[in-house]
Amino acid sequence: MQERRVLSIQSHVVRGYVGNKSAVFPLQVLGFEVDSINSVQFSNHTGYAHWKGQVLTAEELNVLYEGIKLNNVHHYDYILTGYSRDTSFLETVVDIIKELKKANPGLVYVCDPVLGDQGAMYVPENLLPVYKNKVVPLADILTPNQFEAELLTGRTIRTAADAVQVMDLLHDMGPETVVLTSTDLLSKHGDQFLVALGSQKIKKADGTRVSQKIWMDIPKVDAVFVGTGDLFAAMLLAWTHHHPADLKTACEKTASVMHHVIQRTIAYANEMAGPGKRPSPAQLELRMVQSKADIENPATVVRAELLETSVH
Amino acid sequence: MECRVLSIQSHVVRGYVGNKSASFPLQVLGFEVDSINSVQFSNHTGYSHWKGQVLTADELHVLYEGIKLNNVHHYDYVLTGYTRDTSFLEMVVDIVQELKRANPNLVYVCDPVLGDHGSMYVPQNLYPVYKNKVVPVADIITPNQFEAELLTGKNISTQKDAVEVMDLLHAMGPDTVVITSSDLPPRLGDRFLVSLGSQRHVRPDGSRTTQRVRIEVPKVDAVFVGTGDLFAAMLLAWTHHYPNDLKTACEKTFSVMHHVIQRTISYAHDLAGPGRRPSPPQLELRMVQSKADIEDPAIVTEATVIS
Repeated sequence: MQERRVLSIQSHVVRGYVGNKSAVFPLQVLGFEVDSINSVQFSNHTGYAHWKGQVLTAEELNVLYEGIKLNNVHHYDYILTGYSRDTSFLETVVDIIKELKKANPGLVYVCDPVLGDQGAMYVPENLLPVYKNKVVPLADILTPNQFEAELLTGRTIRTAADAVQVMDLLHDMGPETVVLTSTDLLSKHGDQFLVALGSQKIKKADGTRVSQKIWMDIPKVDAVFVGTGDLFAAMLLAWTHHHPADLKTACEKTASVMHHVIQRTIAYANEMAGPGKRPSPAQLELRMVQSKADIENPATVVRAELLETSVH
Repeated sequence: MECRVLSIQSHVVRGYVGNKSASFPLQVLGFEVDSINSVQFSNHTGYSHWKGQVLTADELHVLYEGIKLNNVHHYDYVLTGYTRDTSFLEMVVDIVQELKRANPNLVYVCDPVLGDHGSMYVPQNLYPVYKNKVVPVADIITPNQFEAELLTGKNISTQKDAVEVMDLLHAMGPDTVVITSSDLPPRLGDRFLVSLGSQRHVRPDGSRTTQRVRIEVPKVDAVFVGTGDLFAAMLLAWTHHYPNDLKTACEKTFSVMHHVIQRTISYAHDLAGPGRRPSPPQLELRMVQSKADIEDPAIVTEATVIS
């Protein structure tokens, strides 16, 4: 099996599945070597009644990276980042990625540009210019939700055509692969579904260009999950690795594994909570280790439709 | 199986020691693993360079408080390994004692890392903390010969000595003791080393019985790091599945160690090239590649029951 090494810079929680806890195990299960820098160590995610812990400073991040570099083992095939609250930390991440790309020009940076959702930012506002001007230009694969895509491009999405235009604008900013992980667009299956879209503009080694745009109708679940975005980005990394010029298949696998994990999680959470009671954050933690078989080989339960495709 | 482990060990960005060595295999075996990282280093300290940060005893306490405030401080197992700081270790003891009050059936698996081959490689003042506070609350311990001798004050020259030392360790607290490696002469020749295990049970009628086993393990001509952490994690898993059968638990644990080590040394030699000694990065355990062996280890080492 070909050796592939990921550097993942995300949060660590003692209990539960967000950040690196959400991304590392599934990637390891799929055979990736994962080096992980924990940007924070908290007892649990911040949706619980209480949370406590410590954060890594930009300086401390740099020290860890220096250790890797001094040993000449700073060679990665992928970098993966997600939720960040600190501009100097994010800027240090950018510097590290630039250096790692110099060490390996084939490196793929998978970036979840976490800014907010449902019309409101939930990170400090001064992160937006850093993402827009420094992070997104370096990214190869981007997984914004509708709000983040609108924020980064300054455009509003009301129709499928708007979404396609926004994805093209994001391509122009840098990433060859963009997935709008959730939107308010109307699904033809009704309001129990949400719409996700993807776009890929790849230039292959032989010089041909491949372009693909896809549409996915994804079943909604009536619960608030935490860590699902982190799992999505990690699994998109894995499945685009296996299907580098076929976004349709990569997205079907990714959305399908999300579905299996979420279904198992909500079933267990409802059981734990009891009839008629809403499950708590602790009960809604992703059933990650229990979903190993689905992670390894997800049965396709979500299909993507091609909106347009071209090869030239 | 709903089984939750709290593992308090090191984290390295790259490689497999501490929590990096213990978490993945336990998760692969279906355990829920909560992990507190006692340090975050770039890599283990056997490389030419290493850099990073340590967690203080206070910071450990803060993390535990978060867990407790949410009322999710319920564990079936606690797992600890390499520590360099006495106040940190004492905080771990306080946490284990509180967790045992919350769940009296909690099993504390402790690797009492003090040293090897006749010398200590942690600060000396950890020794009384292990002896007087940690080992008494442990249920399963995995000392090497040096650590077993240090903790009991008794030398091991024969198998009979080893059995006596394990009985002394039982008397200090743990019902399960595995001496992970010793200098005892192997029957299978000098390409092997001898490990021993002892498990004390109380029968329904109140009487005590002890199962003792001897395992001869193939030696490998290389220095591995993280193998002790993997061993303790896998002993946790296999004694969970075989709580009254130390023979089988040890056979599974030593077998998975063998598969991982063989895969690792083979790969390391490939990378290093003919006639060259592999480097620490090249010798990192082939953990993710060993998933199938971790899930279902083919038995390649046999444990003999000894009296």
